[in-house]
Amino acid sequence: MTAMALTQRPASVLSRLLHRHEACRGWLLLAPALCLMLVAILFPLGSTLVMSTWSLDGYSVDRTPTLGNYSAMLGQPMFGALIGRSLVVATIATVVTVALCYPMAYFVAFHVHRHKALWLILLTLPFWTSYLLRVFAWKVVLGYEGVLNTALIGLGIVQEPLAALLYSQTAVTLVLAHSWAAFAILPIYVSLEKIDRSYIEAAADLGDGLTRRFWRITFPLSLPGVVAAFFMMFVPTVGDYITPAMVGGPDGMMVGNLIQAMFGPMNNWPAGAALSVVMMLTIGLAGLAFLAVGRLVGR
Amino acid sequence: MDVIDQLHAVKSGKLDRRAFNRSLLALGISTAVVPLAPRRALAAPEDHATYFTWGGFDIPDYFDEYVAKRGELPNFATFGSVEEAFNKLSSGFVADIAHPCLSDVPRWSSTGMFQPIDTTRLSNWADMIPELWDVPYNVKDGKPWLVPFEWGQTSIAYRTDLFDLQGDESWDMLWDARHSGRLGCLGAGGDVWWCAAIKAGVPFDQIHTDEAFDKISAVLREQRPLIRMYTDDTTSLDTALAAGEIVASMAWNSSVVTLSAQGVPVKFARPKEGALTWVCGMMLHAEAPKLDSAYDVLDSLISEKAAIFNMRDYGYGGVNRKAFAQITDDELAVLGLSRNPVEVLQAGHFGIPQTPEWDQRMTQTWEQIKLGF
Repeated sequence: MTAMALTQRPASVLSRLLHRHEACRGWLLLAPALCLMLVAILFPLGSTLVMSTWSLDGYSVDRTPTLGNYSAMLGQPMFGALIGRSLVVATIATVVTVALCYPMAYFVAFHVHRHKALWLILLTLPFWTSYLLRVFAWKVVLGYEGVLNTALIGLGIVQEPLAALLYSQTAVTLVLAHSWAAFAILPIYVSLEKIDRSYIEAAADLGDGLTRRFWRITFPLSLPGVVAAFFMMFVPTVGDYITPAMVGGPDGMMVGNLIQAMFGPMNNWPAGAALSVVMMLTIGLAGLAFLAVGRLVGR
Repeated sequence: MDVIDQLHAVKSGKLDRRAFNRSLLALGISTAVVPLAPRRALAAPEDHATYFTWGGFDIPDYFDEYVAKRGELPNFATFGSVEEAFNKLSSGFVADIAHPCLSDVPRWSSTGMFQPIDTTRLSNWADMIPELWDVPYNVKDGKPWLVPFEWGQTSIAYRTDLFDLQGDESWDMLWDARHSGRLGCLGAGGDVWWCAAIKAGVPFDQIHTDEAFDKISAVLREQRPLIRMYTDDTTSLDTALAAGEIVASMAWNSSVVTLSAQGVPVKFARPKEGALTWVCGMMLHAEAPKLDSAYDVLDSLISEKAAIFNMRDYGYGGVNRKAFAQITDDELAVLGLSRNPVEVLQAGHFGIPQTPEWDQRMTQTWEQIKLGF
């Protein structure tokens, strides 16, 4: 009875539209995500851009568009130096992490045959605690009366606690590398996992040794994963401000700390917005440069 | 459909599409609604005022009177520095009560974000020490903008066993290159800039001049390479001092009292140039959503008990006259306090209110110096 009623009723405009055009169905499926993107990403991004052209007038904001914030940045060495330091720290942390994670991912992809899921869960274990707690844990490890110093003194290797462990750029690099490791492992693992094993067998049959096989087959085929790992790690670390604020000390501060200070105590949101825009462009450029290098290596 | 039936259907693989969709819908709705439920269950905190204060003052010890009257603690929000607090408030955060210092009053009250306090609603007001609040810029039509809560000094806390003191105690201690990498400093310009002015020999009534800016910046830039940590978090500072990670730091009274109580050999210096002195207290938001509760919070904070706690446990001066009756002269001498606050406040350098432009320029310069530029 109901089935008959359905067939007899003329189909509504919407359902006819959806039936005929596949694209419409696609857009409808995408709509929730698109709306969210629009509200949560494009709108804030746009307002950051607009705000970066405002200027500060006492405690109030002058909304006439100007590029003053950008030209002021050119005049001060502070911005270049902090951006440079952030790029260096993030690059080192990323390279170290990717280099350390690759063998782990390789092992799980090629040599683990049982309980793979368990291994993957174990690899992401650091992510089970909050980011803030992980950084705090490092403070405990590296601290003046921390785990590492106590152990070194106990073993008689040093007499006085090493003050340089904490509050330095090295500490920032180390903590960043550890905190974001799982972001690097997973994409590399996925790209290694999906490599067709018959290629490697073929190479072996044709006389390639272990090393040549790796460099000619496995590594180039896993490059997309390496590139993804690079981005997933580099982009968040370059703008990070929690880690440098907690373990960086005066000389370990990065550009994220300056942006935070501009939106916080300095109370200069337009300048902070301009710096954020410059930072986004810098990261974009760095990404493009890395892609170009990746292409070259791939060939 | 019965839950058991449905579970059975799932088990035997006979769950039809509609039932499945229905369960999905139910799951979606319940997920969306869950955040609403606990809000009703936790209605109580919404009945209380919010007290926006420095980290460390958000403790129950100050609220005996309040709890006795209203059964629960008020809500807390904390900040690390006055600049941070001001920025958060001016970007729209509404807390019934905020906790700045007396010299911030002209700047803060001019924003229109605050209301003068009706002291007739405070039962403990009669016991207040008038010198702490009765200054022209703090009074509007006989009502104060700020009700004082504590007074004290910003000076140098140092380890008597680790810091090699030569000569008198002085601000030079924090510029002592022999202890490079083992000196600490507060992070907020509101303290550091003024202390650096004392060190640079800039009189406070000249602090707004360009020359003063140059002198103070130069002194702070000179100090930066010696500093191990800039922090507003007294816990970090106290831990570092206790461990000997730093041997001297710019600090408030509370660090020394807390550490001494734990047997750490630490002393609060009386620098020969004078310390920075201040009075801080509470201001009432113009649109305080819980005004009645807010007045009870204020009343509790200026109570005798709160003042005694401030002096005994934190080493800050109390604002309630009755509290001094409970404390002996010896105790006061050890804490560096006095029955007559003006005596202590004038022995040091008391901050003078500045314009918003000055404050902005100071904060920006200071943040840049901290970053190394």
